[in-house]
Amino acid sequence: MHIEKLILQQFRNYKNQLLTLHPHLNVLTGDNAQGKTNVLEAVYYLAVGKSHRTNHDMDLIQQGQTMAQLQVVISREEREQELVLQLRGHTKTARINGIVQSKMTDFIGRLQVVLFAPEDLSLVKGGPSVRRRFIDIELGQSQPAYLYHLGQYARTLQQRNALLKQFAHGTRDEEYLSVFDQPLAEHGAQVWLRRSRFLLRMSELVQHTYATLSSSREHLTLDYDCSLPGVDLLHNSTSVTALSEAFQNALRQKHELDCRQGHTSLGPHRDDLLFFLDGQNVQSYASQGQQRTIVLALRLAEIDLLREEAGEYPVLLLDDVLSELDNQRQQNLVLAMSEKVQIILTTANFIQLPKTMTQQARLFQVCSGIISGEG
Amino acid sequence: MTMWGYPEPVTHLIEQFMKLPGVGPKTAQRLVFHVLTMPSQDVTEFSRALLDARDKLRECSVCCNITDIDPCSICRDTSRDVQTLCIVQDAKDVAAMERTHEYHGKYHVLHGAISPMEGIGPQDIRIRELLHRLGNEEIQELILATNPTVEGEATAMYIARLVKPFSVQVTRIAHGLPVGGDLEYADEVTLAKAMEGRRPLL
Repeated sequence: MHIEKLILQQFRNYKNQLLTLHPHLNVLTGDNAQGKTNVLEAVYYLAVGKSHRTNHDMDLIQQGQTMAQLQVVISREEREQELVLQLRGHTKTARINGIVQSKMTDFIGRLQVVLFAPEDLSLVKGGPSVRRRFIDIELGQSQPAYLYHLGQYARTLQQRNALLKQFAHGTRDEEYLSVFDQPLAEHGAQVWLRRSRFLLRMSELVQHTYATLSSSREHLTLDYDCSLPGVDLLHNSTSVTALSEAFQNALRQKHELDCRQGHTSLGPHRDDLLFFLDGQNVQSYASQGQQRTIVLALRLAEIDLLREEAGEYPVLLLDDVLSELDNQRQQNLVLAMSEKVQIILTTANFIQLPKTMTQQARLFQVCSGIISGEG
Repeated sequence: MTMWGYPEPVTHLIEQFMKLPGVGPKTAQRLVFHVLTMPSQDVTEFSRALLDARDKLRECSVCCNITDIDPCSICRDTSRDVQTLCIVQDAKDVAAMERTHEYHGKYHVLHGAISPMEGIGPQDIRIRELLHRLGNEEIQELILATNPTVEGEATAMYIARLVKPFSVQVTRIAHGLPVGGDLEYADEVTLAKAMEGRRPLL
C-alpha cells in the first residue's frame, strides 16, 4: 500500500499543509526543529491511533487552536481510501471514506506503517525488558491468543510474587504455592512456544535484511536466552506439555530461593533476546553504526512479516536513520526497500541518491512548519 | 467533596449514595433530588428496606449463601440431590445457576476468591466451612464453578488439592462458545479455548 496525499491541519507546527507523495521514496530535509518528525508522527498517528512521542493528544494540536485534523488518501489493493482523524480536546473522530467509525479499532490498521525512530537503538543498547517488549508487541499484533496467555501469565506472576513476599516473613506453604506454579507454567509454556516460532521466522528474515544492508560483509544471528535451564527454544523443538512440566519442576526447585528473594526467579519474564554479528555478542562489541544497522534490519524484517500476514507491504517511516550509516549502507537501504515499499524519510543533511533513484524519488524542504517540494 | 453548594442534609445524602458501586457524583445528585420529590411514606419504606436487608439477612450456617432463614431454603429443600455440591464465588452466582433450572444439587458459597495481591488467602474465604461439610455430609461430587480468572482458577486448584484425602470426585465447569451464537462472532481466545476442549462426537 502507499500514501498518495497527506493533509495536516493545525497539527503540531503545521497550519495547513498538503503533501503529494511519491509511491517509492520521499525525502524530507531541513534543519533541526523545523517539523520533519511531525510529519512522520502524523502518518504514524493515522496508522496506529496514537503518537509514538507523547501520550497527551492535546500536545498534537497547534498552539492556540482547539482542534487538529489529519487526512490521508491511500492506495490499497488497487483501491483509493480516504482516512480522516479529527482531534478536538480529548475526543477523536475517525472517518473512512467519509463514514464515521464508532470504534477506533475499526480504523487502526487501515494504514499500516513500520517506523524506525532514533529511540529504537535501545533495542540493542537497552535492557532485556526493551527486547521482550519488542517481541510482545510484534507477536501480539498478529496473535490475540499470545496476548491472552501473556496477560494471564503476568497476572499469575503478580499473585505468586505477592504470596512469596508473605512467605518470606512466615512459614512456607508448598501446596498453596503450587496452586500458582501450575497456571504460571501452563501460560508460560504457551508464551515460550509462540515466541520461539516467531523468532525462528524473524531470525530467517533478519539474516537476509542484515545481509542486504551490509552488502553481505557481516552475518547477523538471533538467539533466545531462556531462563529455564537446559532449554534452547530456537534449536530444539519441544511441546507445550513438555515445556510446562519442565517449568513447573524448575519452579518447585526454586521455592526456597524465590521465597527468600520475594520474586519468581525464572520464566518468560526473565528472558532476553541476543544478537550476534559473525558469532560475537553485539552488546559488548558492535559499533554505533552496526547497532543501528541491526535495529534497522529488525524493522525491515518486520515489514516482510506484515506482508506475509496482511498481503501488502506497509509504509516505511525512517526518522533520521541515515546520519550514522556509511554511504554504501544508506544506498543499500534505500535501493533495497524503495522498490517494494513506500518510504518517507527525514534527514538533516543532504543525502546523495544514486542517479538511477532520482526518477523514483521526491524531495521536500521543511522550514518552520512549511513544506515545499519539487513535484 | 464538601463543595456541593447544597444544604448539609443534601450533601450528606449525596455522599451516602456515592458509596454504592457504579454511582458517581452526577448520578448521586440525580438520585437525591428524586428522593426529595418522593412521598414521605415511600422514603420511610425505602429506608426500612435498606435496614431490613442488612439486619434480617445472614449467611446460611450450612452453605454460606445469603438468606433470611437459617438454614436457607435450598439447604432445607429435601427434594435436592445431597450428593452434589456446586462451589461458587458469590451469592449472585447461585442465583445465576438457579435460573438455569437444570441443576438440582446443593451449593457452597465461598464469598470471594484467593488473591494474595489483595491480601485474600484461603482462610479469608469459606473453605474451612466446606471442609467441615465434606466431613459431615454424604458428598460424592464437587463441581468447581469459580470464575475463569486467574484468581478463580487458583481457588479451584487450591480446593481440588485440599480435598484429595476425601473420596470425592472433583470436576471443573467447561468454558467455550456461547450456545446459539455464531462461530464467527466468538473472540479468538474463546474460540481457541473451545478448540482445546473439543470432544469426540460418537
